[in-house]
Amino acid sequence: MSRVTTLIFFVVGLASLQALAQQPAPSSHNEVLIRNAVVMTVTHGDIQNGSVYIKDGKIAAVGKDVSAPASATVIDAGGKYLTPGIIDSHSHIALDDDVNEATSPVTPQMMMMDAFDYQDKAIYRGLAGGVTTSLLLHGSANMIGGQAIVIKHKYGASRDAMLFPGAPRSIKFASGENPKRVYGSRDQLPSTRMGNFAVQRAALVEAQDYMREWDDYDAKVKRGDKDAKPPRHDLKLEALADVLRGKLLVQIHCYRADELLNEMAMAKEFGYKVRAFHHALEAYKVADQLAAQGVAIATFSDWWGYKQEAWDAIPWNAAISMRKGVRVAIKSDSEDFARRLNQEAAKTMRYGGATEEEALKMITINPAWIIGVDDRVGSIEVGKDADLVVWDGYPLSTFGVPNKVLIDGDVYFDRSLPGFGMPHYREGE
Amino acid sequence: MIQSSVVGRQSSDSVAGRWALAVGRILLVLAVGFGSTASFAQHKTLVLKGGKLLTISHGEIENGVLVISAGKIAAIGAANAVKVPKDAQVIDVTGMTVYPGLIDSESYLGLTEISAEGSTNDLIETSDEIMPHMHVYDAFHAESELIPVARLNGITNAIVAPQSQDTLPGQDSFIQLDGKSANDMLLVRDIAMPLNFTGEQRRNESWEKRKFPQTRMGLAAQLRQAFMDAQDYSQRWADYERKKSDTTAKGDDRKGPPTPPKHDLKLEALLPYLQGKKAIVLAAQEPSDLETAVGLARQFNLKFVLNHISHSQSVLDYVASLKVPVIVGPIYEDPKNYERYDAVYKLPGELYKRGVKIAFASYDAHAVRNLPYAAGFATAFGLPHDEALKAITLNPAEIWGVADQLGSLDVGKTANVVVADGDPLDVKTDVRRVFINGQELPMRSRQTELRDRYSR
Repeated sequence: MSRVTTLIFFVVGLASLQALAQQPAPSSHNEVLIRNAVVMTVTHGDIQNGSVYIKDGKIAAVGKDVSAPASATVIDAGGKYLTPGIIDSHSHIALDDDVNEATSPVTPQMMMMDAFDYQDKAIYRGLAGGVTTSLLLHGSANMIGGQAIVIKHKYGASRDAMLFPGAPRSIKFASGENPKRVYGSRDQLPSTRMGNFAVQRAALVEAQDYMREWDDYDAKVKRGDKDAKPPRHDLKLEALADVLRGKLLVQIHCYRADELLNEMAMAKEFGYKVRAFHHALEAYKVADQLAAQGVAIATFSDWWGYKQEAWDAIPWNAAISMRKGVRVAIKSDSEDFARRLNQEAAKTMRYGGATEEEALKMITINPAWIIGVDDRVGSIEVGKDADLVVWDGYPLSTFGVPNKVLIDGDVYFDRSLPGFGMPHYREGE
Repeated sequence: MIQSSVVGRQSSDSVAGRWALAVGRILLVLAVGFGSTASFAQHKTLVLKGGKLLTISHGEIENGVLVISAGKIAAIGAANAVKVPKDAQVIDVTGMTVYPGLIDSESYLGLTEISAEGSTNDLIETSDEIMPHMHVYDAFHAESELIPVARLNGITNAIVAPQSQDTLPGQDSFIQLDGKSANDMLLVRDIAMPLNFTGEQRRNESWEKRKFPQTRMGLAAQLRQAFMDAQDYSQRWADYERKKSDTTAKGDDRKGPPTPPKHDLKLEALLPYLQGKKAIVLAAQEPSDLETAVGLARQFNLKFVLNHISHSQSVLDYVASLKVPVIVGPIYEDPKNYERYDAVYKLPGELYKRGVKIAFASYDAHAVRNLPYAAGFATAFGLPHDEALKAITLNPAEIWGVADQLGSLDVGKTANVVVADGDPLDVKTDVRRVFINGQELPMRSRQTELRDRYSR
């Protein structure tokens, strides 16, 4: 019964292999030493006058005294701050207008990979703002939307080289105003929150039946029943079955406190886990319950009032939720905010008194956890990908802007260069 | 009180004076000075002592003293140079930064509550392009929950403009972010009029739904026709007034009095602008639109300030040669695909270098509170810090003709004063106290109430 799954894994695996093959030649970037930096590691404090040694795209050493071979390319940070690359756990860039397949409220078989426009300049503009990894999600028109992709912002590289190798699969769910507006405006189900949850529940029940049909079939085959007829392969139900099997990280667009609770109850009922609530502007009202379930949030710092379910948004949401034990990420959901997520994170220091490290976590290791790549990126630690930002100015302020951005040890953005500031990319080539 | 006389006053020299509003310099000053509900009897003399004063007009004063009396700044200087009045209430602001209230040069405050809820929006009348007789003061909602949210971050004054989908969407008002009613808060009604020429005003949503004006040619032709109609209209009234006075002078009433022309609200609304009494806010983004719009303004001798010009990097010397101020931004506007990532971020700095007076605007309602961060961000791209601060205080006060009352910490100016724990332009800075007209306002909004209820 897992043939389709196997096929999907095969395709993803192949893409990963290609990704490795098509990365820019390591050349002199094979070994890089960044020295004379204030290294903000995120997970183990700041290192004044620190160095980071990069070998084969990975962080090989971090500390005050780091030895590197004389052949290593040296980047003297001149006392500037060095942070991990920013991670955006909610983005719709590089998908042209193909964010929502808004023709049915249940479309888990939509693959964002099929719409990935890797030449979208928004990838470059995010990169110039220090973003190195983004989760590109389906939109929120559907209760159950499509499957996301995780990209690295290697603008100018080939499509497959931009995919984050081996990143787990995520699926987008949504609730609240958007689905009910999209379908309600066409006089279709759902047009209410009752309708929303009924649609979601029905889809999950259908997936359970589908799984049972395949289990029955497999059992028959096992018994040697040669007349057993296989059920139809159904991409949609196969994807939902993977939700129930826990093979997909469930990312839920959800605003209101009551719906956060309803979605958690639904997950419990069907036995899957919610990885993160996105937007979650009322998380501060039910933060204890979110913390108890280990559900993270990916929220805005201070955006509010754009619709009814964003009316109770307060800029203290992130800090209050964090203090009650919720893992909090600040995300962009916007081409614009993606370019200055560091400022957005810094706002949590003012609204609710997050510390520098707590604020920085909200745009690095916490979103990395939401995406499921926190063992690979999100902090400056030995063995992790060398996705790093050298900052002009203090990053957790209005004034900090990236000077250089490295991905897998290669400089992809350098502010001091003319043109677009990209060593690997020239317009028109 | 004074506002009502501003609003009701007939223009003495306008032929269509019954409807036109004259905002003369003196009236304007009075309006700003007295535009509060607060009765002056309630004002105690207040002293802010020990803070770092960012005067804007004459540098910074460490360990300063600011004396507020009768809603105005009564004295300012170093601790050892200013005498603290005996019966004054002294507030120790040691370690704090003290600066004038911030001014947003384009907002939609009071015109919207919840963006997606149509019933809460009065942002723009799109039934026609030429709508100069739309006055935002007719819609301005003083009780908006958005206003305290903005004020809590030190924004004390703002231009309220209609949105920009029409070439002539109506007239702006200048507000103060405190008051019990719209009358209290609307300091200057019809202070200026936007003229938008960015291409977004075209009625070309789709080929099926197209209607005039579908192109920039259509937009420009329609604008020229509107201003020419207003000129004709003005002439008809002048002719009428002349005939009327001729008849009276000659004592010849055999023909009877001449018939007055019909009143036309649209055309009358354009007259103060045609007469150069008020400024047009001329919005364009790209060089070609900018030059078309400037050409149009010149054809009709319109006094103007520029708005946006976000993608006009290639003609900044030309912009400087116009010798007009620029409301710049939003600097978060996405660059065009052919532009470098920082093309728009750099614009304020580049304009400053060329001697252009700039001001920032939020171009928003819910995000008005973030105005200082746009200015601060521009400092990372070449704008000096002092100039960034000026561009949200004294520069806009000068551009909008209220600098004798607002925009800096100077004796005699309205005491719109902010106390914060750091650099006003940094996102980490917490605003601690806000004074408008010398009155300290509670640091409460719907959002702080939700915070307090749920963080217990």
